Amino acid sequence: MRRLIPFLIVAVGLLALAVDLLPEFPRPSADPPAYAETRLGLDLQGGLGGEYQALTADGSAPSKGDMETIRTIIENRVNASGVAEPVVQTLGNDRVVVDLPGATDQQEIRRLIGSTGRLDFVPIPTGTTPPGQDQPIDPTLPALFAGSEIDPGGVSPGFDQQTGQRTVNFKLKPDGAQAFADYSRANVGQYFAIVLDGTVVSAPVIREPILDGSGQISGDFTTAEQRRLVTTLKYGALPLALKELTFKSINATLGAEFLAASILAGLIGIGLVFLFMLLHYRLPGAVACFALVYYALVVYAVFRFVPVTLTLAGVAGFVLSVGMAVDANILIFERTKEELRAGKTITTAIEAGFNRAWNSILDSNVSSLITAGILYYFGSSTIRGFALVLIIGVLVSMFTAITVSRSILRWIVRRPWARRAALYGMREDEFTATAPRGRAREAGARV
Amino acid sequence: MFDLIGKRRWFFLFSGLITIPGLIFILLTPFSGGKAGLAFSIDYTGGTIWEVHFRDGTPDPAAVLAVLADQDLKDSAVVVTQSPRGEYVRLTMPPIGLIEAQAAPTPGPTVMPAPSVSASPSAGASGTPSGSASPAPSASPSPTPASAGIELPTTGKPGEVAAALEAAFGPIDDVSQATAVGPVVSRDLINQALLLILAGSAGILAWITVRFHDVRMGVAALVALLHDVIVVVGVFAILGTFFGVQIDALFVTAMLTIIGFSVHDTIVVFDRIRENRFRHAGEPFSSIVNHSLLQTLGRSINTSMTVVLTLTALLLFGGEAIRVFVLALLIGIVSGTYSSIFNASPLLVVWHERDDRRRQAQLTSARAVR
Repeated sequence: MRRLIPFLIVAVGLLALAVDLLPEFPRPSADPPAYAETRLGLDLQGGLGGEYQALTADGSAPSKGDMETIRTIIENRVNASGVAEPVVQTLGNDRVVVDLPGATDQQEIRRLIGSTGRLDFVPIPTGTTPPGQDQPIDPTLPALFAGSEIDPGGVSPGFDQQTGQRTVNFKLKPDGAQAFADYSRANVGQYFAIVLDGTVVSAPVIREPILDGSGQISGDFTTAEQRRLVTTLKYGALPLALKELTFKSINATLGAEFLAASILAGLIGIGLVFLFMLLHYRLPGAVACFALVYYALVVYAVFRFVPVTLTLAGVAGFVLSVGMAVDANILIFERTKEELRAGKTITTAIEAGFNRAWNSILDSNVSSLITAGILYYFGSSTIRGFALVLIIGVLVSMFTAITVSRSILRWIVRRPWARRAALYGMREDEFTATAPRGRAREAGARV
Repeated sequence: MFDLIGKRRWFFLFSGLITIPGLIFILLTPFSGGKAGLAFSIDYTGGTIWEVHFRDGTPDPAAVLAVLADQDLKDSAVVVTQSPRGEYVRLTMPPIGLIEAQAAPTPGPTVMPAPSVSASPSAGASGTPSGSASPAPSASPSPTPASAGIELPTTGKPGEVAAALEAAFGPIDDVSQATAVGPVVSRDLINQALLLILAGSAGILAWITVRFHDVRMGVAALVALLHDVIVVVGVFAILGTFFGVQIDALFVTAMLTIIGFSVHDTIVVFDRIRENRFRHAGEPFSSIVNHSLLQTLGRSINTSMTVVLTLTALLLFGGEAIRVFVLALLIGIVSGTYSSIFNASPLLVVWHERDDRRRQAQLTSARAVR
């Protein structure tokens, strides 16, 4: 087992480097193929985001199924609007969190997300002009059928070569098709309205009877209007009404400033820790610094692979975790010094240092995991990002601060040049640097 | 050997001196109706924040307030902020512009696009010359191409406010952030914060008690970390009262991180106490604890030192957005180191000695009866 550990360290290190540096490192995903990526939160790259609460009529908690439906529909609507990499998540019992990095048009996006999407096909009585787009419809008009009669697979954008107009094709399920056939046969030349949440999305004229449920809406649409209509028809109604709880928009330039500031602060902080470790612990300190670099590479690889969305707080959490990761090494090295002063050889002292400090390290890290776990489980989305960073940091540090620095120290102290008291910040008379032979070596292996 | 435990009354006194004023200011928060004590950001109170740049120069905050008052936004605050991109004005207003459950139809221009519907060509019923489509201008605002800048809403209440500001002070040419938080989230957050701190404390109490097979150690660690929580919240209650420093949603995250971290030093000392009780069996408990404290003092300070170093760098260079968060962590970590060394272990000694006295008393009374 012990012989295998150096290989494990090298393998994990190389793998981490590959994930860190390769632009297209694949990660398991159904379809489409996904790659490891550095995912920045809204506050670091700018964009729009909101939190929504699903409301039931009687105030009871919505079902898990309804929440999942809402999530999927919002995701579909947002995806269809052309925003790159939207993140839509459910939170707690009745919340949906939407993050749209890079998006800027909040009015359009909020209309897409916030509208319940109750879709009705409403015939307009003969002789009346239909209301215009975005106008409220007379609520007393009966609907011919609801949006649930649309076959989502049959909705697509199109283009009419003859008129040069953008079109939207749709297809109805059998009941809706029957109703529409009966109605359109008798009402050619009349208007009907496609109504979303009581507001007219589009009010086309019926030009010919639509008998088999397949129709086409044409008009002077802009691309955005056409896309909105497709989205509305296709992804239809949310099962519950949504209330907007928060909405934030952050300028990309501001995000870039935050990112630069936190990277600078992180580098300075980590640099200070390096300096401290080198000055205070000398050779073992240098090993701890190497372990820290290794730690940072592995943690970053995990962030890219999961992937974890890095927010401002998350980056702070990562920098904090560097300060915590080195703590295990401090406990080990202090214990090693004690053991050296008690007369042990450097080899046995290091083994004893690692073994004796292990209890404290484990207990400390578990206590951090407990609080970070509570944060992750109960927290809101910002808090969860921070907690996840902390959890990953603690878990990885258990591996690097112990296994990595231990293996390197074991290897180093066998070199003759490494057996000098000054390298450990000790006095010559405290230091017994004799090579372990015979019984001493066995003792070293046993401790 | 230096006698730390013998001076425990002084340490308890010092802890009292730093927690009690904070505690008073914390309690002021509910009693003063929010006028003193902790100052909450819009994450807790609900509200709208815009940070905008005026093309024609930064207006006087008082004049901006007057415009906002005209818009019935009286409880607003306006400050001028500096950024590498110039002077920005940050407006903090009551929550406006959040969409209610049923999207209210907004009256817009009534130009009609008049599209038409026909049987789809794929169905074979098409071929009709389309003369009915009238070329009409689009009624909805056309989407702007993606740019780095974000836009303020043009409709509803936020639209009116933005228009009033532009009318008074010239065009707003950059918006660095616009955030609106409704009051529901706020109520949630305060309950959530208390729940999180309770759950975190209970978790640590359970874990220490199980690992050290001693409920006294669990409770001593718990007291030490509650001390840290009170110190941090108290400091921010004082800062909030006198400097208006606001705590935001991340503050509770700092609390939980402190709870998790402050117990690290306590664990190191307790671990050493456990080891020394076997090694130096027979010695009085207080001298074992004193010995253990002195042995681990260096590493308690050094482990906190590395975290303090990284946090200080974040505080100085990490930008304004996380400053309160980092400051809370920093205070908590320093307090955590103090309370681990000077509160948790001395408390353990007090408890042990009381138990010993009680046992002694029972023994003597048992003898007396005999």
